[in-house]
Amino acid sequence: MAKNTLGLVFFPAFDWMISPGHPERQERLLYTRDQLEEEGLFDCEEIREYRPRLAQIEDLQRAHVGVPNIARLITPAHLTSAGGCLAAADAVMQREVRRAFALVRPPGHHAMRVVHGIRGFCTVNIEAIMVEYLRSKYNIRKIAVVDTDVHHGDGSQDIFYHDPNTLYISFHQDGRTLYPGTGFPEEAGSPAAWGTNINLPLLPGTGDEGLHRLYDGLISHILEDFQPELIINSAGQDNHFSDPLASMQVTAQGYARLAAKLQADIAVLEGGYSIESALPYVNTGIILAMAGLDYSKVVEPDSSMLRRQDPRCNKRVDQLIEQAGEIYFQRAAMQQRLLAQCGGTWQRRKHIYYDEEGIREEQLETLRYCAYRACGGYFTIQTAAEGTRFGDQSAFIVCLPRGVCAKCRQAAYDEALREKKRGKWQYVLVQNIDSGVIEEL
Amino acid sequence: MLLGIDVGGTFTDAVLLEQAEVAAQAKVPTTHEDVLHCLLAALDAVLPQAERAAEKLERVVISSTIVTNALTEGKLDPVLLAVITGPGMNIKGHVPVTPYYLSGYVDHRGKITAQLDWTKHRDLLNRQGRGVCAVSGKFAVRDPQLEFQAQHELKKCGYEKIFLGSELSGELNFIRRTNSAYFAAQVYALFKRFSQRIARALAERGITAPVHILKADGGTLPLAVALEQPVEAVFTGPAASVLGIEALAAPSVNSISLDVGGTTTDIAFWEKSLPLMAKRGAIINGYPTAVRSFHMRSIGIGGDSRIHKLADGGYQVGPEREGPAAAVGGSKATLSDALITAGYVSFGEPQRSRQAIAALGGEPEPTARQIIAGAVAVIRRTIQEMLDEWAKQPVYTVDDVIRGTEFVPQRLIGVGGGAPGLITALGEAMGLPVDIPLGAMVANAVGAAVARPTLSAGLRADTTDGYYIIPESGRRERLPRGFGKAMAQDILSQWLREQTAEWLLPDQETELISYEHFNTVHGYYDRGDIYSLRMQLKPGILHKVRGREVRF
Repeated sequence: MAKNTLGLVFFPAFDWMISPGHPERQERLLYTRDQLEEEGLFDCEEIREYRPRLAQIEDLQRAHVGVPNIARLITPAHLTSAGGCLAAADAVMQREVRRAFALVRPPGHHAMRVVHGIRGFCTVNIEAIMVEYLRSKYNIRKIAVVDTDVHHGDGSQDIFYHDPNTLYISFHQDGRTLYPGTGFPEEAGSPAAWGTNINLPLLPGTGDEGLHRLYDGLISHILEDFQPELIINSAGQDNHFSDPLASMQVTAQGYARLAAKLQADIAVLEGGYSIESALPYVNTGIILAMAGLDYSKVVEPDSSMLRRQDPRCNKRVDQLIEQAGEIYFQRAAMQQRLLAQCGGTWQRRKHIYYDEEGIREEQLETLRYCAYRACGGYFTIQTAAEGTRFGDQSAFIVCLPRGVCAKCRQAAYDEALREKKRGKWQYVLVQNIDSGVIEEL
Repeated sequence: MLLGIDVGGTFTDAVLLEQAEVAAQAKVPTTHEDVLHCLLAALDAVLPQAERAAEKLERVVISSTIVTNALTEGKLDPVLLAVITGPGMNIKGHVPVTPYYLSGYVDHRGKITAQLDWTKHRDLLNRQGRGVCAVSGKFAVRDPQLEFQAQHELKKCGYEKIFLGSELSGELNFIRRTNSAYFAAQVYALFKRFSQRIARALAERGITAPVHILKADGGTLPLAVALEQPVEAVFTGPAASVLGIEALAAPSVNSISLDVGGTTTDIAFWEKSLPLMAKRGAIINGYPTAVRSFHMRSIGIGGDSRIHKLADGGYQVGPEREGPAAAVGGSKATLSDALITAGYVSFGEPQRSRQAIAALGGEPEPTARQIIAGAVAVIRRTIQEMLDEWAKQPVYTVDDVIRGTEFVPQRLIGVGGGAPGLITALGEAMGLPVDIPLGAMVANAVGAAVARPTLSAGLRADTTDGYYIIPESGRRERLPRGFGKAMAQDILSQWLREQTAEWLLPDQETELISYEHFNTVHGYYDRGDIYSLRMQLKPGILHKVRGREVRF
């Protein structure tokens, strides 16, 4: 295997859209395809092409619990884009290539564990599906996910929130100014995983300078300390200065340099809707950087929309370096304290809005820690959603993480059966995270 | 009557076809110092075998690898390559020479985002140009204006012939078009000489029928037209043999064909009765080009391959040629001797084969079987690589992923002198039935004789800017009223037919080979459509041929 081979899964889904005129329409990767073909990137010996495959329902169900079930919520396009990520993961894990880029759509980082419909253009979380696959199939323990999309990856945060072995770092435009409105440093993980969910909300207008200041000053240090076995990049491209849905000032060079520094093992395309002015160039830059090739000549032909970064942007970056650095580097002590405080049970309430379909969901998530050190306990989710395509629906869900002890497993089933007896829920479901099997009681 | 001539590196084959039958066939040595001699010798060997052959000829098709060989052996001088790259990948190392970089840029939608600034290129304009050169611009297939401007200026410098990337291929892939243009320029002079020798040889024997050259995609071009795109005509590669198989024994199910010569075996894939084309084009001298070609591989295993004993007790077959086989008077054991000893084929003196195999050490039969198993394993590995490569061709729609485009071979076809034994052994190992058609010895020349003209072109229309372009024609025009898929097909088909008429070819059916349509949204309200299609003259062969077995 050459030192810098890149596996590339390019799947533009030319026959899939959310609705005509929607940013997630057939046209989205057309110009990117044209650019990559025209540059001749597929002929580079450093780049090896892979086809996506169809993911299995079990692959999806390691990360998701669909209500009533995930099969009824997705289209074959979702199985293909998730399958594209799995193909990329296999190529890297089987050492056919050094790293891989799944340039696929539809995207996924707004899809949470429980799925009632489409939110933020996403139905299933393709990175989370890949992370769970890497754990189940290849026994990978420590994984870092760096989310470079302009929107906070609230779906990824939701799925990784209780897992101390998944470090999730997201920088994004401040949630007070952009969808989905979350992603602040205080959202740092549940007690046992506190400090492994790092949110870095940037001021609108932040450009290459601020971004690299943040990477060099904080993200690189955190990654070095965490020592992940794999680094995954949720490679959204909407921090670009020409993106119509956001207000940042990053260039193709800024993205490519970041890819070169990050050296992600696997990158997965997320958002990015400046389909003519940004995506063709940003993708070319990222691909070249990941393949170890010269990306210095990748420059947008039109930079008339590029603005100088406001001095306040760097100030925010410096604050974040301090604040988030403290959260991460002092996490062990904080985890101890929070665990002691919560006394074995921890809860959070969530109100989730599905912008695409107008669904309103209420959730109560309950973590039950185990007295045994080796067992992380289990958790339950009570969910009630209004306005789904199946009408109003509710479910009681029990999630069994990998390596859950026999005692917790028993307690989890007991709890599920009790809820079933109460008859309050339309569905009572048990998610086996390792196998992806969901039982309906 | 049709005449096919294949000028190979060692032999020149000629075949005369009359009403789908081989009327005459010949094999003469290729004369490298002047191909005129071997062309005349081949003509003299076949023409007298049929009455009034020279008069009755309807067409002559030539296939040749000798200009290719001159290039791959590094015998041709470099030429000027001027490129308009704009921003993007650094092309250093992806093209055969250090190019001259011109300013200017066309973006992916065909918009000129930067003009060519000639004040920056005084050094180029002051050159004393001579002979041939090449120009290639990124996205010139979306708008060729900048390439045209460069061509105009270089003409003024004194260059006589300037090849443009967008004229040689209408498809996306700047590097491949650039390499096609460069190689076209580099082989031009030699190819011109070669075509003059052909014309002279035919004239000397009183042949006035139209002369065509075979292309790598199995189609033909009139000799005069081939001069405009010599790179297509020169890199015939093993296309002739594929067409020969199509003519002699086109399979009816998905198959793999193997042309086993003395030195090499050429492997091709067949989807039902049509050979599969390579997705992006041929690799020439290690550089990817836009030359359309079959999905093929050549490996260094043939009937005359030398056998080496390896340190671990196993045997390696090839890649050097030893030949001829010990059975027919050679001094050392070859693959053919192993096939004779193991009982797969029988020719020459089997006893000599046994002795040669025994001389490698050990019992002759087991040793022969071991040698054959080694050769079969190498071929199977190559087939597997080709299957993997095919399986990784890109898919762009969910529909394609669900339907799958897997290639599952159901039969093997063996042609060429070494096929009978080796392909039988391969079929046994792969559990596939084997066909060995008659007439396989001159499949190349047969293929050349019956090849049909091919021509393909693309059309791209973007209703937002109101233009369509046919890159192969350099034509960029306003969209007519009521433009849609049907009209796009009509315009393109019309152009293909005009082109056929211009080349004095028989009118042929056209077919749509790819079609994409996208609704586009620009800003919030500006809606449009992008149409992108390719059409071609239906490829293939004029008719099937009944072979006859002759040994030379």
